[in-house]
Order: sequence, then structure tokens, then C-alpha cells
Amino acid sequence: MSLWVDKHRPRDLMKLDFHKDQAIRLKNLVQQSDFPHLLVYGPSGAGKKTRIMCLLRELYGSGVERLRQETMNFTTPSNKKIEIMTVSSNYHIEVNPTDVGIHDRVVIMDLVKNIAQTHQIDSSGQREFKVVILNEVDDLTKDAQHALRRTMEKYVATCRLILIANSISRVIPAIKSRCLTIRVPAPTESEIASVLHIVCKKEGLSLPSDLAIRIAKCADRNLRRALLMCEACKVQQYPFTADQKVSEPDWQLFIRDTASMILSEQSPKKLGDVRQKLYELIIHGVPPDMIFAGLLKELVLNCDMSMKSKIASYAAKYEHRMRLGNKPIFHLEAFVAKFMAIYKKSLEECIGDMF
Amino acid sequence: MSHTKKENKWFKPMFEFGEDLLTESKTNNNDNPLLQSPVKNTINGNEKPFKIQNINHKSLMKNFDPKTIEDLAVHNKKVQEVDDWLKVVCVGNNNDMLLLTGPVGCGKTITIRLLAEKYNIKVTEWITPIDIDIPTEYGEFEYNGKQSTQFLSFVLKAANFTSLLDGNSEKLVLVEDLPNTFTRTPSEFTEVLQQYKLRGKSPIVFICSESHTDNKNSAINLFTPTLKEQFGIQHITFNGVSPTGLKAALKRVAGIISKKYADVYNIPKVDLIECVSNSSAGDIRSAVLNLHFACLKGSNYNLETSIIEKDQKLTKKRKTTSSKFTSLGKDQTVSILHGVGRVLNPKVILENGRKKLTHSPDEIIEQFTSQPTSFVNFIAENYLPHFSIVEHVDKAASLLSDADFLLAEWREKMCQEYGLYISTAGLMLANEAPVSAWNPVRGPKTMKIQYPSPYELHLEDNYFCKGKVLVTDYETYCKIIGDKKTNEINSVYTL
Repeated sequence: MSLWVDKHRPRDLMKLDFHKDQAIRLKNLVQQSDFPHLLVYGPSGAGKKTRIMCLLRELYGSGVERLRQETMNFTTPSNKKIEIMTVSSNYHIEVNPTDVGIHDRVVIMDLVKNIAQTHQIDSSGQREFKVVILNEVDDLTKDAQHALRRTMEKYVATCRLILIANSISRVIPAIKSRCLTIRVPAPTESEIASVLHIVCKKEGLSLPSDLAIRIAKCADRNLRRALLMCEACKVQQYPFTADQKVSEPDWQLFIRDTASMILSEQSPKKLGDVRQKLYELIIHGVPPDMIFAGLLKELVLNCDMSMKSKIASYAAKYEHRMRLGNKPIFHLEAFVAKFMAIYKKSLEECIGDMF
Repeated sequence: MSHTKKENKWFKPMFEFGEDLLTESKTNNNDNPLLQSPVKNTINGNEKPFKIQNINHKSLMKNFDPKTIEDLAVHNKKVQEVDDWLKVVCVGNNNDMLLLTGPVGCGKTITIRLLAEKYNIKVTEWITPIDIDIPTEYGEFEYNGKQSTQFLSFVLKAANFTSLLDGNSEKLVLVEDLPNTFTRTPSEFTEVLQQYKLRGKSPIVFICSESHTDNKNSAINLFTPTLKEQFGIQHITFNGVSPTGLKAALKRVAGIISKKYADVYNIPKVDLIECVSNSSAGDIRSAVLNLHFACLKGSNYNLETSIIEKDQKLTKKRKTTSSKFTSLGKDQTVSILHGVGRVLNPKVILENGRKKLTHSPDEIIEQFTSQPTSFVNFIAENYLPHFSIVEHVDKAASLLSDADFLLAEWREKMCQEYGLYISTAGLMLANEAPVSAWNPVRGPKTMKIQYPSPYELHLEDNYFCKGKVLVTDYETYCKIIGDKKTNEINSVYTL
């Protein structure tokens, strides 16, 4: 099944719907014969990958769109065999090194080395370098990031790296300074709404502008999600009405559920139940930072101002810990326990005041 | 003469009984075996000249070895298992293979030896030689050939040829000391086994001790399941000797002492035996050694009495004997579940009006052998049911968060220790109102994230998105859209 998101993805830099100035600059960048390593960053659903694919198309022509999926094998120094999925065309290869967890360093070093050592067969009329796209660079281990630094310098003649990250705060400075950083900000709600209108027009549907704005608000400035929501709305009810239901992602509902559990009772036993819920979320693949943000958003709704600031500061503390630590569940649980303690105390004070 | 030969040895045994006797007799050329040792006398405080019996150092420990199968401290069923294998195998030109594994000192070798004796099988054991001789005066080395070839030729010779002096008994090859080269290149080992399977004519037994750390465990690294299958190697695993088995064996040793060697040893008391068996944690060899050392007359008189004193004090408290009796035994180790129990149910005693933990966090950490992270995971998984008040949980959870943060720093060894300490000490102290109920210990959850595949979501080959994005954005809507589409398709078909 072909979703709107994929079907109507712009393929040319000039046809992008927003950040047009940036598109022109990218085009100029490519028109010169060479370009440096890129570090593209921005929130999820802002169009980073779309821009990169447009850029590659500009570079190599439509050949980059003939993709194939391959599994590559690597051996770690400790003789462990690891597998990783790659997506590649004749001109580029894309990989998600965080898929292999702590062994990402090996993947980065071997993969880039392999690519960089094979030259283009037909270099006449072609670029003389290949492109390696690395996803989720901010989730790489520090080790891998340092390995990357070295590789970047060594193979600069035969390959260019395009790194994709959500935030560059966790990318080491050495890498930041070796790349041209390109920020792709999330589209505003009105931009999203206009994209929705354009897509609906292409599909031959009429979209009430109220609904478009509601979807845009719901989607959290994530264009991908907005388009999916829109398509889901169409499937659920067409013709559109301005006040029809816009369904939220499952996991957000699940987090809301968990938050109401926390608010309903503050006891160790309840915390045990909450933990099971959190486990479920994590195992399902929802990123822990999104769980954190979602929980915080729901929980502070029931707090007064002084409590809000306190809880937000604790959330920040534990979220930071989580980034530094290994096991997200520890920190999520610590945050929930902290909230329970604070909330219970305030409830007791309220009851005390009443009498 | 025997001691001229001894002089030529390139090393001298450090603890040799009667060494001074030998030299004495050499210088004095005196046949009198009595020796007046002033040192011994002062220790003993005895007027009588003390007679040292010359225990041949070779058979020092052999004196206490079990002589019959009934004497073995190993569990009957295990012995029976090995017995069955031997019975089947020692008939004809059978070249079956057996692998015995188990912790150190659980009686693997002695079981094989005794059983072989029972069936009148001759055991030939491989001992890895040094492959480079001692350098000559000019610093030249002689290389003795490849270890694996040497090993193979030895094993084959031992399996196929009988000594003229032996009569025509059955043979058995025993390999306990695998050459190092095999750990480096396991393929060589496979080749040797293949050769043996082709040419060998006697059963072969491999004995491997298990250690705590997996990477040094030759049984796991070398004898992979495929290898075992390929050569039909039977694998029998021994457990550590049970406390009752240990005690029985030590009593037997005590019996031997009181019968034969009363003049060398003090006869061990029952509580001493108890102490030794508690401290040795299923290792019969070290238990016998400890007993031997603890009972030795004269050598260390003070130490021994102090132990007995300690022990007598402790028998009142009974259960704690094992942890305090460390002066002789090995360092006590605590299993992971035991450790978790001690952390989550801390016992507090009042001492001089001050509260004190019976097991201090230091003690628990010290006695601990596995990875800190796995222990902390265990604690984190299990601590909740022990708490009754949410404020305490808050404290504990926040400490666990600290601990995880520290444990993540694997480059600094201290951080591991601090992390472990914070979590143990924190959890022992955080819970001020524990729930007293029996809670089964659960293992920590493995957090293998299962991302949906694009195929599951009925997406076309879509290379743009992976993992997280599929979960957070696509999944819900794909379900909605996909359901509708399949319904439509179905309705088209029904029409």
C-alpha cells in the first residue's frame, strides 16, 4: 500500500513546500563540483530525509531512487557476528548504526572503509565520490563518534558522509566542526496545514481548513504524522467534516493511561503496575525520551504552579541521567516515584488545610 | 642415592616435609630418625623430644584420597552415570569420548580413577610438556615440535599400545591438561579429534574445570555443541560436593588421621570439621587441605586454637559460622540471589544502643563475584514489593538512578564499585518500613526492543523509515488505513 506520505514526497529540491531559501542554498551547494560532509539535524518529521534524497538526486540523477536492501555482516574484535540492514543505490548507502547497540563502532569503521575503498566504476560524467548516510548519529556511542571522526578525515577523497540527527547536543564537537551543519526546523502549523491542502488537492479531495488546522495542531509539528493522520481521517470518514475525530497515536493514549494510573494512587504497589506499563512501552519501541516528555505533559496538568516547576526540574534531571545511563527504566521509575512522593505530600497538605 | 637425583631438579619444592631431616641425615650421616628441634620444642612447650615422622611429600595428600567408590564424596547418581558409561565403553576397540565438567575440587578426576581401577582399566594421562627446553649455556632453545602434533601422537600411542609390563588390560586416555594451543585455535582440536576418531582404539575422557568467568571456560569454548554432536561426545556435569558429602568425607579423613597419623596431626574435633566444610563451598580438595593445615601438630599451634575459640563463640549464633571462618578457607562468595536477599531484607541489630546492620554493604560487595550491573538489575527488579511507603521508594529509585548513571561509565573501574555500593547501601537504608512477606525473586527483564517490520504494517518497500519512526508515527495510522483497505478489497471480492 502506498501512503500519501510516500506518494507525495517531493523529489526535487525546487519542489519542496517549506524552507525554500534553504533549498536554494542546498542546490547551490551541489552545483559546485564538490561538497563537504553534512550534518543534517532537526526534529522528527521535519523533512530531513526528504531533503537529503532530493540532494542526492540533484547530484547523481534519478539512479539514486533505485534502492535495494541488503544485509551486511561484521565481526567485532571479540568475534561476535553482527548483522545490519542497509539500503543502498549505486551511488549511496544508508545505514542505521544504532541498530547494533554498543557494537556501532565496528559497523561505522568497516562500512565506511569498504565503501571508501571501492571507487566508482565509471567515473566519467559521475561524481568521484560515494555518499554514506548515517542515521541517528546522536544516539551513537562516544566510541563510535570518535571512530567516525578519524574515518571522516581519512576517506574524504572517495566518500562523503551525511549524518542525520535529531539534536546535535549529543554529537561530539569534533564531528560538528568537520561537517557543514544544516538545521531543518519543524514546519509551523500553518505550513503543515498548507501541505495538507496541497496533498488533498492532488488526491482530488476537498479538505475543510478547520480540519486541516486541527490535524496540524494534533500532529505536534510533525509533518509525517500530520499526513498519516489526514489519510487516516479520510479512511475513517469521507467527505471530511470540520469536527470529525482525529485519532492520536496509540502510544500517546497509552502514556495518558499510565499518567492517570499514577494520579489515581500513590503507593509502591501502583508503581509496580506503572513499571509494567513502562516496560511495555519501551519493549514496543517507543523511545524513552518521548515517554518522558509524554508523561510530564500529562502529569503537570494536575499540578499547581509551584509543583509544576518542581516536577519539571526533576523530569529534566532524570531525563539527563537517562541519556548518560544505560537502562532507561531506572530513571523513568525514579521520576514516577518522585512525582508520586511530591503529589502525595501536596494532597495530604490539601486535606490538612480543609480541616 | 635418592637425594642426588633430587638436587638435579631445576626447582625445589617449597613445602617439603622432612627436608631438614634429609639434609640433617646427609651431613651427619646418621641413621637416627629422631630429630631434636629446638624451635618445635619451644612452640610445643613440651619437655619430651618431638618426633617428626617423615611423611613422603609425594603422598602427603594421597594419604587421604578415597580408596573405594563408597568413599567418594560425589553424589551416587553421578558416579553411577560415569560407571555406566565406562561399562559400555571399555568393551572392545571402542573410541568413545566423554567430557566431564564441574567446579574445581568436586571429585571429577578421582571418580574416573577409582572407577577405572574397579574395572581394571589402565589410565594414561596427558600432561602438557614445556615445548621449549631450558636454554643451554649459549642461550639456545630447542623447539620440541608443535603442541598439537605431540598431543595427537601421545594420545594415539596411549590409546593403541599396551605396555609390556601391564598385562593385557583395557586402556583409557585421560586429558585434563589441554594444551594451550587449542584455546587459541579450536580448529586444531577438531582435527585432532577427527584423527583420534579414525585411529584411536580406546575411550578418551576430557576433564574441564568450570570457572566463574565464561571466557576462560574451556568446556564452553572448546567443546561447542556442534563439536559434541559431531564426535558423539557424552557430557556429564558434576556439581559441587554437597555439605553432607563434604562432612562425611572429612569425617573419613579424621578417621584416617586418628588411626594412622595421630603423631603428626591433632585429631580434628567435630566443630572444626563443620567449620572447614562450611568454608570450602563444595570444594573437597581445598576442604581436605584446610583440614590438614588446621590439624597439623606443632606447625601453627596458635592459629589453630584461635580458630577453635572463634568457632566456639560462633556456634552459639550457628548460622554465621560460614562467613566468619575465612582465616583458613577461601574467600566466601555469595550467590546473586543470596545477595539480593541480604540487600532487600536488611537485618538490623542493636549494638550499644546504636543500630547496626548484620551484613554491612561493604561485606556484601566484597563477597560478590558477578558483574555489578547484573546485581543492580536484580535489585531493581525486586525491590518494590518490599516497600510500603512511597517516600522511601522515591529515595530508593532515585539512588538506583544514580547507580545506573555511575555503572554506565565502564571505563573507570571505580565507578562500577561506587555504583554497586550506592545501590546496595542505599536500598538497605532507604526502606524504613519494610513489608515482611515472602516475595519470590524475579530475574530482570530483557529489554529487547521489537520494532515492527515494514512488512507487518503492509507498507510497500519503503526504505525511508525504520524503527522508532515506524513505531511513533506509522503504526497507529497504518492499522487504521490498512484495515479499511483490506475491508474494501474484501467487499470488492464479495461483490
